[in-house]
Amino acid sequence: MNFKGTLPTLILEALRHEPSHGYRIAQQIKERSRGVLDFKEGTLYPALHKLENDGLVKSYAGVEEGRTRRYYRITESGRRALSKDRAQWREVSQAVTVLLGEV
Amino acid sequence: MTVTQLENWLDRATWRLAKDSAAQVRAEIREHYELARQEAMSAGATADEADRRAVAELGDAETANCQYRKVLLTATEARVLRQGNWEARAVCSQMWVKWIMLAIPLAALFAAMGLRLSGATAVARVLVIMGGGMAFLFGVPFLPVYTPSRARIFRVARWAVMIAVLLLAFGHDALKYSWLLVSCLWPMFWVEWQRASIRRKLPVAEWPKQLYR
Repeated sequence: MNFKGTLPTLILEALRHEPSHGYRIAQQIKERSRGVLDFKEGTLYPALHKLENDGLVKSYAGVEEGRTRRYYRITESGRRALSKDRAQWREVSQAVTVLLGEV
Repeated sequence: MTVTQLENWLDRATWRLAKDSAAQVRAEIREHYELARQEAMSAGATADEADRRAVAELGDAETANCQYRKVLLTATEARVLRQGNWEARAVCSQMWVKWIMLAIPLAALFAAMGLRLSGATAVARVLVIMGGGMAFLFGVPFLPVYTPSRARIFRVARWAVMIAVLLLAFGHDALKYSWLLVSCLWPMFWVEWQRASIRRKLPVAEWPKQLYR
């Protein structure tokens, strides 16, 4: 499914509870959406860099299973952006549900 | 064979990126590829199948490249930064160069006063305009421009002064010679455009001095 524009919000949501690395973020989004939100993983990292440039996430080097990986954690501005996005998404999805006569 | 596929993907995804940006992309994608490959193999795929799947999961390299170029420094932007840093070092490392840059417009203004007194009004006018413009441009190292908001104000003021100087210098002929002005100012527009792009890509904390100007 095409969900262009929502990837940054999904990344922030994936990082809400704990820091993570790119691969795990991608898997988390796919698993939690039960495969509906399937995206090409090469586009994940540009989105992560954009979030980092905007100060919404911060990256650091961490070690997992003896290998150094780049981890990302959400910042305070990121949390604020996420709650704003979530509120907007609720409004939009409610409006679309009403328009499509699902209620 | 499929490692070559990954390298091919990386070559296309890092096209026109700066050396450091390309290295960053290569490191993160290789790390991702390794994890995807391991997972596919632990799910029962053969090594070849796992390689193929891991590269396919990355998607289109050109699309990724297009997105990377929007968020990471390109080779052109890195060159603009290097040149700017070199210029800044050349000017700021020698105190006398800074003072000479300030002395030139002052000399032009004094010469204009002398010419005005001796009756050469037209030449004096041109010198005043040139001196004023140069004083604003060459005085940059002395100005307290070190926050993003001040930098924005300074940039607007600089372009306003430059346009005003050109309008004053050319007077009614400004429109007639607009092609010449545009041709001469084009390199400045281009550098300004590149710097604006760099500002969007780098966090403010990492801005070199030249990006404030």
